[in-house]
Amino acid sequence: MSDAAPRLPDRFTEPTTGRRIDLLGYQAANRRNSWLLALVTMALLVAIAYLLAQVTDPGATLFFVGVALLIGAGQAVAGFWFSDRIALAAAGARPATVEEHRYLVNVSEAVAIGAGVPMPKVYVIDSPAPNAFATGRDPEHAAIAVTTGLIELLDRQELEGVVAHEMAHIRNYDVRFMSMLVATLGALLVLRDLFLRWGYFGGGGRRRGGRDSNGKGQGIALVVLLVLLVVSPIVAALVRFAVSRQREYLADAAAAWITRNPEGLARALEKLRAYSGPRLEVSEAVRSMFFVNPELNLNATGMLATHPPIEERIRRLRRM
Amino acid sequence: MGSLIVLIILVVLALYAVSVYNRIVAYEKRYQNAWSQIDVQLKRRADLVPNLVETVKGYAAHEQQVFEEVARSRQAMMNAHSVNESAEAANMMSAALGRLFAIAENYPQLRANENFMMLQEELSGVENKIAYARQFYNDAVMQYNTLIETVPAVFLAGPMGKQPAVFLQIPEGDRNVPQVSFGDTPPPQA
Repeated sequence: MSDAAPRLPDRFTEPTTGRRIDLLGYQAANRRNSWLLALVTMALLVAIAYLLAQVTDPGATLFFVGVALLIGAGQAVAGFWFSDRIALAAAGARPATVEEHRYLVNVSEAVAIGAGVPMPKVYVIDSPAPNAFATGRDPEHAAIAVTTGLIELLDRQELEGVVAHEMAHIRNYDVRFMSMLVATLGALLVLRDLFLRWGYFGGGGRRRGGRDSNGKGQGIALVVLLVLLVVSPIVAALVRFAVSRQREYLADAAAAWITRNPEGLARALEKLRAYSGPRLEVSEAVRSMFFVNPELNLNATGMLATHPPIEERIRRLRRM
Repeated sequence: MGSLIVLIILVVLALYAVSVYNRIVAYEKRYQNAWSQIDVQLKRRADLVPNLVETVKGYAAHEQQVFEEVARSRQAMMNAHSVNESAEAANMMSAALGRLFAIAENYPQLRANENFMMLQEELSGVENKIAYARQFYNDAVMQYNTLIETVPAVFLAGPMGKQPAVFLQIPEGDRNVPQVSFGDTPPPQA
């Protein structure tokens, strides 16, 4: 089935920019980048652990590197295998049953047929704030989650647009890359916090007793270490935001193609723009996975924006 | 030496031909699989109809004409064998069900009936899935036809006896959505 499963055209021209999009190449790049990212993360963690050992206790270098590798491997495995469960739990999602959410399940099944992907698992989040996200390492193990507020706010065509947008993320392997990025960021933050805590409590005394001859080398190592620990999570976050912004446009275009109805998605975005109720409370790590930023600053621009400005998304859809 | 080069070239050509052959077969399976997806949904709809008719009869027993119309379309559905017959019967049923739901509008008690509401959502869901499955079938057919009519597959498709597949004519207004043009891959009569 998976081999012969019908797919969308592998190449099409993005209507607004006239850019040629090669989806197969794009998917391959996403998969390659996921592994590259895991390797870079590992290297970074080893470097940090090595420096940490130089600063504190050079005799324990092996131990430090070992611990760092374990943390890195744990995060990578978690990012790959459990990201869906982690993200769903972090967002407070529960499985949607046919009895309770017949409408949502029907819409998802229809869009999956149109997109040529296996039917993803469908979840709901009990929140009046309209939003949605997709997760999972590949189309065979994917899930989409939709808030109850979104189901109530949107009509069928609009909901189809949002669901198709999420399925596009699944098909393009965006979700795998994103969850690996989130895992990388997580590992770096864990290390940083470990180091800071150690610096306050255990570290001070031992350093005083260290060999003074190494003082200068230690000083340099400490500076490099601090820079790495402070800078790398920021860089990881910036990369994540940039990647996320660019992917939203592509997923919008693919959703328009799947539903043959850019207007449905454009109207959905308009309704979300007009929404001004309670926010959806989710942790920072999963924020960029959502259909629109849960913080509701929908027209944010610049390096820290997790999504493209909503006006621009609507404008591009209307021009198709 | 020269014969070795010729041999290598022949082997490479043969391997290439095999890959093209496999691609043709995969694309063919793909659109046939897409067809069976439509079939699944059409059957599902036909299964829902008796239940719906029973529910509506409880409130509007005298609307005999529309019940007969629905029954006839269901019969045609069951007897359909070819792609075209089944497409025609499916359109007949869509029209009959459309009229049935229009009549139901006149019976507020029926509209408030929980079973009826469930069936109504289920049927519009199936209707929608049929529309998507058809659109998808046409996409798959277009990819298959494009493949076997262009170089290099066209050289193999002839000897393999492969003919272009037939597009489904999707009835006007089946899905009230605007046409989208995606450059060189326009949607088939969606």
